Amino acid sequence: MADDVKVKEKEVTLESLRKADDDLRLPAVPERTLFPKEIGVAAAREQTPAVGQRATRPDGRLHGLGQTKYIDDMFFPGMLHAKIKRAGISHARIKSIDVSEAEKMPGVMATVIGKEIPVNSFGPSYQDQPLLADDIVRHAGDGVAAVAAVTEQQALDALEKIKVEYEELTPVYDPLEAMKDDAVKIHNNESNVYSSKTIKKGDVEKGFEDSDHIFEATFTTQMVEHVPMEPHASIAEWDANGRVTIHTSLGRITLGRADISRTLELPINRIRIIATVVGGNFGGKNEITTEPILALLSKKTGRPVKSVYTREDEFISSTTRHPFVMEYKTGMSKEGKIMARKVRLVCDGGAYCSWSETTLGKACILSAGPYNIDNLHVDAYAVYTNKTMTGAMRGFGAPQVCFAYESHMDDMAKALGIEPVELRLRNTFHEGSASPTGQVLEAVVVRDSLEMATERFGWQEWQK
Amino acid sequence: MTDVTITVNGEERTASVPPETTLLKMLREDLNLTGAKVGCDVGDCGACTVLVDGIAVNACLMLAGQAEGKKIETIEGLSTLEEYHPIQKAFEEVAALQCGFCGPGMIMSTKALIDQGEELTKQEIKDALSGNLCRCTGYTKIIEGVIDAYEEITGKKVPEVNPRAA
Amino acid sequence: MRHRGKGVGCMWYPIGFTVLANPSAATVKVNEDGTATLLTGTVETGQGSLTVLGQIAAEELGIATDDVHVVSADTDTTPMDTGAIASRTTYVTGNAIKLAAENAKQILFEVAAPMLDVRPDQLEAVDRKIQVQYFPQRCLPIADVALQAQFVMGRPPIGSASYNPPTVAMDSETGQGKPFSTYVYATQCAEVEVDDETGQVDVIYMSAAHDCGTAINPMLVEGQIEGGISMGIGYALQEEMLFDDDGKQINPNLTNYIMPTSLDMPEIDVDIVENFDPTGPFGAKGVGEPTAVPTAAAICNAIHDAVGVRITSLPATAEKVLKAIKEKNGGEQKALPAAE
Repeated sequence: MADDVKVKEKEVTLESLRKADDDLRLPAVPERTLFPKEIGVAAAREQTPAVGQRATRPDGRLHGLGQTKYIDDMFFPGMLHAKIKRAGISHARIKSIDVSEAEKMPGVMATVIGKEIPVNSFGPSYQDQPLLADDIVRHAGDGVAAVAAVTEQQALDALEKIKVEYEELTPVYDPLEAMKDDAVKIHNNESNVYSSKTIKKGDVEKGFEDSDHIFEATFTTQMVEHVPMEPHASIAEWDANGRVTIHTSLGRITLGRADISRTLELPINRIRIIATVVGGNFGGKNEITTEPILALLSKKTGRPVKSVYTREDEFISSTTRHPFVMEYKTGMSKEGKIMARKVRLVCDGGAYCSWSETTLGKACILSAGPYNIDNLHVDAYAVYTNKTMTGAMRGFGAPQVCFAYESHMDDMAKALGIEPVELRLRNTFHEGSASPTGQVLEAVVVRDSLEMATERFGWQEWQK
Repeated sequence: MTDVTITVNGEERTASVPPETTLLKMLREDLNLTGAKVGCDVGDCGACTVLVDGIAVNACLMLAGQAEGKKIETIEGLSTLEEYHPIQKAFEEVAALQCGFCGPGMIMSTKALIDQGEELTKQEIKDALSGNLCRCTGYTKIIEGVIDAYEEITGKKVPEVNPRAA
Repeated sequence: MRHRGKGVGCMWYPIGFTVLANPSAATVKVNEDGTATLLTGTVETGQGSLTVLGQIAAEELGIATDDVHVVSADTDTTPMDTGAIASRTTYVTGNAIKLAAENAKQILFEVAAPMLDVRPDQLEAVDRKIQVQYFPQRCLPIADVALQAQFVMGRPPIGSASYNPPTVAMDSETGQGKPFSTYVYATQCAEVEVDDETGQVDVIYMSAAHDCGTAINPMLVEGQIEGGISMGIGYALQEEMLFDDDGKQINPNLTNYIMPTSLDMPEIDVDIVENFDPTGPFGAKGVGEPTAVPTAAAICNAIHDAVGVRITSLPATAEKVLKAIKEKNGGEQKALPAAE
């Protein structure tokens, strides 16, 4: 299809391209990988009952032999490589995008920009994130255009020829600043606070009045990245019946399929997603990234199209962990019983919502800690900023709040002159305790875990 | 395009590649040996570790041309039709690998270490693997696997240490 | 001078999505020789979920782990699954698989009952046999029953099911409700060594006691705990994404984004807190995320014990720790706020 366009201009280039293409074409017959004819089965895999066995993993065996094929290890005939142009500016309006020079570059078979995507928005809670920014760029890693070419290098070279004109907008990076009424609004909302959660139980003010001591502290955490060893990778390919098959490193294929159906306006039964092998997730591969873009590039070119994130793409263009600002106020009796707790959480929600609503909700519930607290008030807010979007990462807000409530606990233990483990044991949940949301808890073993871990550590006897 | 001839896993192979091609790219795309992985492409993560004349090397930092005439060993050549390599066997038994992406690099670094024939301590094992990043396992079971493999291959024991003894 | 300190952190963490439906569906097919194939839409991302889910199916069918082949992660051929997220796989997908295996097993029982001269509800599947409860000597190999089912009775033993954790929506003003079906608990203790001249913190040793309900595969649970601790150590001491004044990342690479290597890992003693959750498959809950939760707290509490400084912002880099030590030593010492 791309051949028919600009035939005369490309004739000479095509001739040399085809030769280069042949040279770069992979061996027709895949390399054989040696593995022993007989390895046998580990005993634990043959035992009944199966629960409780230290069974080895059949996929683990293949990993060790180097036989596992991750997405980047897959090659299909005629496959093209796609690269995404990143904005490089944290807040701007796109005035124009010109891909014409890029399309003339050697090896380039197709380009895609945001406006060509039928429904250019996605997101697990709010669909506020574009696949490719077509109006406003909200963080420096926002994609603005995509190119498919015969080799990765050709795709990268073509990206440099894409001309984007920006009108710079005032950015805001600090979530506390972004919460203010007069802050620049990153999305078309009245406020940059896009989600808030509350928990109210008992009467905190009375609880503080009844306390012998009040402690206050503020804790902050940083933005971190999942760093899966396998970068995000996907391959899209169509068949003559209008079905698209997408191999992708995605942790949620049912959601992914629904997103592709929505963004490309395709019936769900025309979409096949395969994610049999993923090299690490930790939450960063829980939403689509380039899949619909690759599907469009593949449709335009009639060829399979692969995209693999560079390690830099992983940092600047995939989701991260929310930085939190956490304010704690706790009222204690002199015997070391928590009488009341007030918590305010401000979570840096990055440029797009992604999994922030879920993170906020969980953090809000968990922020009181595994402790019996009759009087509790938690307010939590997620705020847009012009930084890399924050999303799901192992713990959804729990590591942040645990750092806060456990550091806080030790400070209070020191001030009250109560041993830190003892202080915890005086307050931890037990079977049948009520959670911060009033749920009756069962299978509660926090005390057991405290006792086991400290005993294993040799906590009582330990000397500096 | 330049022709590069290397010996890979005991076989002589030739490929015709643009001169800026890395050894990693040539192994993966021209020879279809995809065991060595692209984790960062700039020598930070070790997922592309292969042995070049017995030394563990980040294949992404070496040009294919620089490997001309050298003896390359990759993960695909460790086991044979007859024998499951002890390192791979040990890794399987202790569930050393989780997502597996760092596995080939980790195993090749281990082979280079054990092949040196020195007596090993746990600290030396940690030092040798410090250039291979893993995000899934915390390295604990990987080190267990290395110790098991070393003990099986050499018949020697890695001394137990207690870091808590001040 | 180097100082040692000890610190503890305990935590709780939920399994599954907050209130919202997050179902998993599964299909179990018993082959005519008594082995089985499991179809699940979940995605194996390295945690070993496919092995664990295979063990759950095997347990329900009374066969061994290796008798079950697991097929996953293809929207054309495997049933829907909300995905590998929120530590839900062992619990939610596991429950779906247990129910699906029960449905397949029910067909086997109905076929075996007349062969053994008892009612179907008197049967159990144990040790690759279908046998009579409390009279196990009357039994048949599962292979014989499976063959009979498919080729004589014309009833291939295929079972499908789905599971969604029961929740109660949270009130919008008070948050009261039942957002999750179950929670897990854990404690980690850390021993650190702090150099008061450089601020460098080394984690020497950790003990970790984690609840996962029943441990379907203890070896894989240990792997999750060790991996989670390494992420926790990076979070506590090293990792940070830095932005310049224009909102661009300064260190989007593994040279300058410091994360744990083999040299940063302490000796770890892992204990699994055995307990039984009646709502989980064979009592299991989950473990994937909780492992990375209390580590930073334990380490920062240990730093506090070692050198008396409270780090309130992560990561506790050497620069921050040293600065805090200097502030504590020079200038007046501030008392902890303990107002009446």
